[in-house]
Amino acid sequence: MVDKKALRVALVGRPNTGKSSLFNRLTGLSQKVGNYPGVTMEKRTGLIKLAPGVLAEIIDLPGIYSLHPSSPDEQVVMDSFLNENVDEKIDVVIGLADGTNLKTCLFVFTQIIDLGIPAVLAVTMSDEMERKGMELDVLGLSESLGVPITLVNGRLGHGIKELQDNILTASVSQNIPFFQPGGLHLEWINKVSEDKNFDIPYKSWLFGLRGSEYEELISSTGKTIARARADEAIKRYRRVNEWLREFFVTHPGKDRRWTARLDRWAVNPFWGSIILLILMFLLFQALFFGSEAPMNFIDDQFAQLSNILKSNLPNGFLSHLITNGIIPGIAGVLIFIPQIAILFGLISLLEESGYMSRVVFIMDRFMRPFGLSGKSVVPMVSGTACAIPAIMSTRNMENSREKWLSIAVAPLITCAARLPVYALLISLVIPDQTFLGLSLRGLVLFSLYMIGFFAALLGSAALNKIMPEAQSNPFLLEMPSYRFPQLRNVGHAIINRTKSFVTEAGKIILAISVVLWFFASFGPGKTPDFTQDYEAIPIEDSYVGKMGKAIEPVMKPLGFDWKVSIAVLSSFVAREVFVGTMATLYSVDDNEKSSIREQMAKQKDPETGEPYFNLAVGVSLLLFYAFAMQCMSTYAVVARETRSHKFAAIQFLILGILAYGASFLSYSILA
Amino acid sequence: MYLSDLKIGQKAIVLQASISLPVKLYEMGCMPGEEIELNYAAPFSGPMCFLVQGTLISMRKELAQLVPITEPNVKSLTNG
Repeated sequence: MVDKKALRVALVGRPNTGKSSLFNRLTGLSQKVGNYPGVTMEKRTGLIKLAPGVLAEIIDLPGIYSLHPSSPDEQVVMDSFLNENVDEKIDVVIGLADGTNLKTCLFVFTQIIDLGIPAVLAVTMSDEMERKGMELDVLGLSESLGVPITLVNGRLGHGIKELQDNILTASVSQNIPFFQPGGLHLEWINKVSEDKNFDIPYKSWLFGLRGSEYEELISSTGKTIARARADEAIKRYRRVNEWLREFFVTHPGKDRRWTARLDRWAVNPFWGSIILLILMFLLFQALFFGSEAPMNFIDDQFAQLSNILKSNLPNGFLSHLITNGIIPGIAGVLIFIPQIAILFGLISLLEESGYMSRVVFIMDRFMRPFGLSGKSVVPMVSGTACAIPAIMSTRNMENSREKWLSIAVAPLITCAARLPVYALLISLVIPDQTFLGLSLRGLVLFSLYMIGFFAALLGSAALNKIMPEAQSNPFLLEMPSYRFPQLRNVGHAIINRTKSFVTEAGKIILAISVVLWFFASFGPGKTPDFTQDYEAIPIEDSYVGKMGKAIEPVMKPLGFDWKVSIAVLSSFVAREVFVGTMATLYSVDDNEKSSIREQMAKQKDPETGEPYFNLAVGVSLLLFYAFAMQCMSTYAVVARETRSHKFAAIQFLILGILAYGASFLSYSILA
Repeated sequence: MYLSDLKIGQKAIVLQASISLPVKLYEMGCMPGEEIELNYAAPFSGPMCFLVQGTLISMRKELAQLVPITEPNVKSLTNG
């Protein structure tokens, strides 16, 4: 718990102003990642010691363009400031302004100090200002604003000490308000102040303009909410422009040269697409192949640990639970860390450098027809490795509609875990022939990937049609100047995301895997023999086996017998478990896939005497695995990211129905 | 004339719109009276990127079609 005496200090500013660098500098490794109540946004905080006996909790608020919310991010910030709860009230604000883009940053800052909260201003990118020949009269601006200004450099850590000292002595500016809402609006502002007990008229102004509650009263002034907000923007900019004329010298022309030069390539219709394609290909490669060795390592270590414990622990239920239930469950959580770390490292590099906005810019036109935005490209590409990091990557998307759509369809993308299943089934039912000079098996595999992609895009388009048109956020995107990414920030992003995956989704994954272990190891009235020579009960006698047999009538129209049904059920642990379960059911050595295939090929249909795994059954199974959300880890991550088990359950159900429908159709046609 | 009519590299002055535009546009710095320049545009009528008040702002063409502008030399006729 945070000490009650800790000062609550909020970091606020426009996006791309070096906010996370400054936050990382101020808090170091003391930071914690939590969530804002009711939303899926990350809340980063850190507890630091400002002076002997003075603690401060630094809160990294999301980047905003204005205190008037146009996005969920901005909503969170406004709510934080209007919160009058004593335990959550913000004591001091550190406003951030990018020194190379002071105008728009000061616009937001004047809104913040008008709230009547003690404030200080940190001007970042001081090194770049110098390089670009910009000069700021810090004292002059500080006097006009009525708050202390510190030039900081998050990269080198300059100015941090001075900023901390300024926080200690921060007070409410004597020069506010810079914008005085009044005149026509006085009547409704007074009403809001009375209703909500706001001490500052500007708070009432913000609160009143945010929604429908006071709309009628406001429109009786003859001005719309949008008009009132626009008037405020114009007045504030006028003020800011006066200050800049007085205190700021720049030599235009030098500015933005690098960004313009790089953008000549990066957003060029031809070269930009090529660069994007190459980068996304590299991202896929890094995710797919870069994670292989560490994943195998984690797998091996836990298998070893399990074996060591097996031979040292006394035989019995508990040892079985630990070695076969809990340890594989923990391994099943940690196995995702390499992919998550790699993906978030790369995403953070793209965001830090400023390139991510260009990705959105280039891809927007192509993703829009499906209700997605340019940012959905990252989850789509990462989904080909694994849905877990893909779904987590939607955290970087502000627009919640596109984010929900991306999460909803991400499990349809063909992930790496489907490959062993596809490989086994394709080699079983697709003849090793060529078609137009291409391997038929390769073509089928390729088609399955395409089915995944198109199902995801079309699914999103369909959902977009159904979903009620919420208050739409205009697509307005700032293209930040290119910057060299800071490794410190990349490191923090990796650590924070990995930590939150392990502690949040990890819990659910572990719990489900222990439950599934129980269902696979125990049966009605059956307990495995826990003595010296441990023997598992036959899988068909276990709960999973019984369930498989019970659902056989339902699965029959898809061509699945009870054995396949069991394998499908047990794949909920992870899709590739299908192969292992098949091996167990046909009692062959788990590790030799060829022998599983041979055994499966030998199976006869009891009615016709023909091989059971024919084209119809094979294709039906392939399609089932293409659509079904056969993955508890995906379920867990969706539930965590959306803060809603309902969302995850409905998604699981709909994808299950899709899978059933596709398999049923194909089996009806081919059988 | 509207923002969407600009050619790459061409400059103009933003005018007061008669209809209500997203306020975020103003708050990001794209306001009546400001000079604006089309920096680049994505192919197939994709988003367009403008330089205004020292910031690069991208918007979809549908929005750019709603923002009225005028030639830079008649700046004196507009008031911020």
